[in-house]
Amino acid sequence: MSATLLRVAWIHLKRDRVALALCFVLPVVFFSIFAAIFSGGGEGGARSIVVLLADEDDTPTSRRFAETLDDMGALRLSRGPAASESNPDPAPWKRESAHRAVRSGKAPVAVVLPEGFESTFGDFGGDRPAVDLLFDGANPVARATVDGLLQGAAMQAAPDLLIRRGLDQLDRFGGGLTDAQKRALDIFLPVVRGERSPSSVTGDPRDDEAENSGFGGLVPVRATEVGAEEDGRSMVAYYAASISVMFLLFSMVGAAGSILEEKERGTLERLLASRVSPGRILGANWIFYALLGVAQLSVMFAWGAAVFGLDLSSPQRLAGVAVMTVATSAAAAGFGLLMATHCTSRNQLQGVSTVLILVMSAVGGSMVPRFVMPPFMDQAALFTFNGWALDGYLKVLWYDDPSATLGASLVTIGPEVAVLAGLTLAFLGLARRAARRWDAA
Amino acid sequence: MQFDARIRSTHHYASSPVDDPVLTVTDAAKSFGDVSALAGADLTLERGEWIGLLGPNGAGKTTLVRSVAGRVRLDAGSITLLGEPLNQATNSRSHLGLVPQEIALYPELTAEENLRAWGALSGVAKAELGERVDWALEWSGLAERVGKRVKTFSGGMQRRLNVACGILHRPEVVLLDEPTVGVDPQSRERIWGMLEALRRDGASLLLTTHQLDEADRVCDRIVILDHGKVIAEGTSAALKERTAGAGASLQDVFIHLTGRELRE
Ligand SMILES: Nc1ncnc2c1ncn2[C@@H]1O[C@H](COP(=O)(O)OP(=O)(O)O)[C@@H](O)[C@H]1O
Ligand SMILES: [Mg+2]
Repeated sequence: MSATLLRVAWIHLKRDRVALALCFVLPVVFFSIFAAIFSGGGEGGARSIVVLLADEDDTPTSRRFAETLDDMGALRLSRGPAASESNPDPAPWKRESAHRAVRSGKAPVAVVLPEGFESTFGDFGGDRPAVDLLFDGANPVARATVDGLLQGAAMQAAPDLLIRRGLDQLDRFGGGLTDAQKRALDIFLPVVRGERSPSSVTGDPRDDEAENSGFGGLVPVRATEVGAEEDGRSMVAYYAASISVMFLLFSMVGAAGSILEEKERGTLERLLASRVSPGRILGANWIFYALLGVAQLSVMFAWGAAVFGLDLSSPQRLAGVAVMTVATSAAAAGFGLLMATHCTSRNQLQGVSTVLILVMSAVGGSMVPRFVMPPFMDQAALFTFNGWALDGYLKVLWYDDPSATLGASLVTIGPEVAVLAGLTLAFLGLARRAARRWDAA
Repeated sequence: MQFDARIRSTHHYASSPVDDPVLTVTDAAKSFGDVSALAGADLTLERGEWIGLLGPNGAGKTTLVRSVAGRVRLDAGSITLLGEPLNQATNSRSHLGLVPQEIALYPELTAEENLRAWGALSGVAKAELGERVDWALEWSGLAERVGKRVKTFSGGMQRRLNVACGILHRPEVVLLDEPTVGVDPQSRERIWGMLEALRRDGASLLLTTHQLDEADRVCDRIVILDHGKVIAEGTSAALKERTAGAGASLQDVFIHLTGRELRE
């Protein structure tokens, strides 16, 4: 009895290729994607974090500190904006320009070495000016990494200061060094700094002003989330966007499944026999799904605003969200139609699109933020619907410039809207092509 | 919808003389891959005439009906509908009624909502729609179930609605593909009643069925199709006399002509 039931179940599974794929292929695909994300493997290697450096101190010690930070490999240090045609020789980052750049998403972290960095380097306590770490709240990983590296860099940057400070203490409390010992130190310390080779230890050592200040403790770091206080930014915006986009795809595919039901029921055939053209059937369905998508996203964002304090009060944000919502819904509705017209049964549609949507969402940043991905994965996101939709939403909800005009803030999402519009056309075109099967046999 | 109403009111087809056939199928051929569904079928439907199209499973009946409805492109041969070659008769939908073999309705909609949808899609003018829906509900015996969703209907009720949705726009030519499958005698009576109402308006009708007694009773003429070709046609009485002899039933004629071998 049981054997018979088992055999029937097995035959069913064997003949349902979609179920088989969901059972065996999907877990493997997912495992691979997440392994690639978190191991940072594959070509392209681990990702290095871009750090903007504003050196307000501009002293040998601050420069040395910066170089050490640069040499640590995990970071890519930027001293100033990239040169452009309008600005062929840009000024180095200043506190304000670096802040703006992090605010607008050009880099996740900026480090500001304050004036007085050198003169107080290594001091314990007191009112040492803190190194400012300006970070993008969307990327806690970058913040934590840079924070740690700053401490490491302080240790590595100035081993000579460390030695000097130790010897100073010996000098003071341990009975003192002879003059000869002190002269030898003056020659030896630059070697530790790497400024000269041991063979060239003749002549006067160039003094570091800092050497008298001693080296103590690690650099004091003051971390500030950019935009958190001034513009009422909150992580809700990030999650609202990434979750909505993924669920939108699921509900669009679910809605478009009605086309397959029409086919199974014979109402599609009846419509076609009533001389309703395939293009009109697709068009009407697309409009309906797109409106449904707009409604769904609107409810999500309204809920986020009402309950989770998502700030949509500025006209720029509201307009930006509206434009992105229309563009995203239009494309997602097209995606639903594309899937429905290429599948032959609701089961197949459900299976195939679950795989596709989950993969696109994982790669496109709906599940794991793209900044933790290795570069090749981050690039792959540009081939997903989620990647573009999310980028657009983040531009208006997260990286927006509160002082920009309405027009200017809409221009920033131009590329995303253009890509989504292109995807819409491509999806609809492919759906129409697949619907040639509906034409008279 | 406005457009269709205008065409109808100008009697677009009045140019074709009343005694011309409303439908002519000439030498129709159609293959699906290496399956030949139609192999040179000929058929003529006169105005106001009812034809019973009989044939074993796989004979090509549905293919013939679908090609008249414009859903099958013939490999060879031609179809003339209401005096116009089929592929140019773009506004024939308001003059043609198709009742498909399967129950093609929206199960989540009520009977009335289905009728409204299919009526509008078949070109019934808005002003006329309410009256036509009422007519259909009355004739299909579904008036007391108007507010109920179709998925709660019995098979017989769904069949009645399926027919009603195909004819409420008062087409001149009606194609019915096995309209009474799985239906009890009461429902069947209702369906014939509805069609009789159309017949009084002068509608012509092409009906495929396996209920030979029914075809015998309601049809003016019988056409028997086998292997994609018409193998016999005439009034039921003439066919009986010609083939199986006096006292024979249409069933005898059918078996005599198409053999006892099982088909699809
Ligand atoms: N769309 C189609 N694709 C492939 N074969 C078809 C198609 N429609 C009909 N056929 C085949 O054509 C033949 C005639 O079918 P059909 O017209 O449905 O017969 P009937 O309605 O008389 O039972 C059958 O062999 C059937 O399998
Ligand atoms: Mg059939």
